[in-house]
Amino acid sequence: MPILEAQALTKTFRRPDKDSGFKGAVRHLMQRKYKNYTAVDGIDLSIEAGESVAYVGPNGAGKSTTVKLLTGILRPSEGTVRVMGRDPHVERIANAHDIGVLFGQRTQLWWDLPVEESLKLLKHMYGVSDADYKRRIERFDELLDLNEFMPALARTLSLGQRMRADLACALIHDPKMVYLDEPTIGLDISVKDRLRAFLRELVNDGTTLLLTSHDLADIEEVCERIVVIDKGAVAYDGSIERLKAHYITTKAVNLYLEGAANVPELAEKFPDYEWTAGEAPSEVVVTYESNRFTTAEVLGSLTAQLSPRDLSLSEPSIEDVIRRLYAGELTK
Amino acid sequence: MADTQTPAIAVPVRHVFAIYWRTWFAQIRSIVEYPADLWVMASAGAVWNILQFAFLAVLFANVPDVAGWGYHEMLLLSGLLSVAGGCNALFWDGAWSTGAMVIKGDIDYRITRPAPVIIQVGSSHIGMQSIGEVVFGVAMMVYGWIGAGIGFAAIPIGVLAIACAAVIQSALVTALCAVNFWIKGQASIFAFLMIELQGNAMKMPLGIFPIAVRLVAMFIVPVAFINFVPVAVVTGHMSAWWLAGIPAAVVGSVLLAAGVYRLGLRAYDSAGH
Repeated sequence: MPILEAQALTKTFRRPDKDSGFKGAVRHLMQRKYKNYTAVDGIDLSIEAGESVAYVGPNGAGKSTTVKLLTGILRPSEGTVRVMGRDPHVERIANAHDIGVLFGQRTQLWWDLPVEESLKLLKHMYGVSDADYKRRIERFDELLDLNEFMPALARTLSLGQRMRADLACALIHDPKMVYLDEPTIGLDISVKDRLRAFLRELVNDGTTLLLTSHDLADIEEVCERIVVIDKGAVAYDGSIERLKAHYITTKAVNLYLEGAANVPELAEKFPDYEWTAGEAPSEVVVTYESNRFTTAEVLGSLTAQLSPRDLSLSEPSIEDVIRRLYAGELTK
Repeated sequence: MADTQTPAIAVPVRHVFAIYWRTWFAQIRSIVEYPADLWVMASAGAVWNILQFAFLAVLFANVPDVAGWGYHEMLLLSGLLSVAGGCNALFWDGAWSTGAMVIKGDIDYRITRPAPVIIQVGSSHIGMQSIGEVVFGVAMMVYGWIGAGIGFAAIPIGVLAIACAAVIQSALVTALCAVNFWIKGQASIFAFLMIELQGNAMKMPLGIFPIAVRLVAMFIVPVAFINFVPVAVVTGHMSAWWLAGIPAAVVGSVLLAAGVYRLGLRAYDSAGH
């Protein structure tokens, strides 16, 4: 049985329909008009226990709204959500014991209190025993260096420290299902690396994870499955490996020739490949279909006939695939 | 990580109180981070009450009574209203932040925690003007009580009246602030309106107002049970039977607040879609 199941999940918001500027604002005050906006449009999602799922999409695609529906913050306009068999909005309290939530753009720390006080307040709220609390704090410290800023007031923390503290808040009760909405937003590379390592540990321990992020490195390093949404609907749902295998159908070789590269001439000589000029005059990029030619075949023919000074292989990244999915170039 | 906790399905009342007090004391610790704010706000509450005292003293220097109510009885009215408002600010000031929280999406995290949202919001702020309001409100009450010659026997009624007044005041404020779940504004205009009306009308005997106003204050928005009814009973202006209306007003206003807040959370649509 899936730990999380959403069927035909839909959320429609009512937004003011007004013209821009002062005139529009005054007119709206007198004659109020609204239009409906569908942020999440019939999403079906099923997550098994222990899965780590990346939930990605362009800005405004409905990622955060979906997370809010799944956590019980919002009530669906249509469709159903079940987390461990419960409706998270109706059975909010019972659901809260089993889930952990982090919204990267907001904090749940008490602003004028030391981090430790916030964690203790949450400990009592969740009914965590002293022994469990101590053990978890020790573990968070090992992985997130929490003790470094435990006595500091929340308002004095750097963004990276704040995010680590918020992560500890979200996990203090050892939730079975964790939702992280952009946990690495605005962080520098070293803090990102540390957070990703922590999330990998979490997944290895069997916690179910739903992660939204614009940073595709988060996704590749932490998640096995990816759900891409656009305009409130699922554009792709499957493993990252399948996404790559299915959509990455071309590979490229960068050749560095002895003299300047004549791209039209090369394209005529090797019509099976796509040729484009590189950054330097002697550089040329050869793109070939990986399901028609092996890399060895391509390299064999090119090196035999062109004797390049140097060459390098480049694999298209998941980032390219998702960018193309967003742009509507690829279909499900 | 092994887990030894047993998740509860409903939140036991004792746990709710524990969460409330822990959060409230956490706010106290936050407040002492800003000592200047603390002293300015506490003084503001005190100054406001001293002005009320002065107003009544000047009024009764010129008139013998207001609709049969004397100086000390009027002090009791003002004092009890101040204590009720002060207790609201001291113990439940967070309710006033409901509108701002709705607009900014700050209810989100509170929904994901295993505690009643209304408790988390209510205990999220302390209005420090309340110290002056409560201290000087009690002082006005004591002075009025002695001056009106009410006696010691009625003190338990007075104490109970203060507790009920604080609960009714806080519950009505909460219900009116919860309207912001729908009307989407930072300021809790309906609650402000109620406070304004109380400040202007409920420091006077209800008998000087038209019947429609009296009915509204007694039965529609039962602000009369905060200060007028208990004071009128202990000073002999109303029959003791009216005391029975006070717990009814407590229960009614608390149920109203809880119900409106619950409906508000159903309508909550967060921020940033």
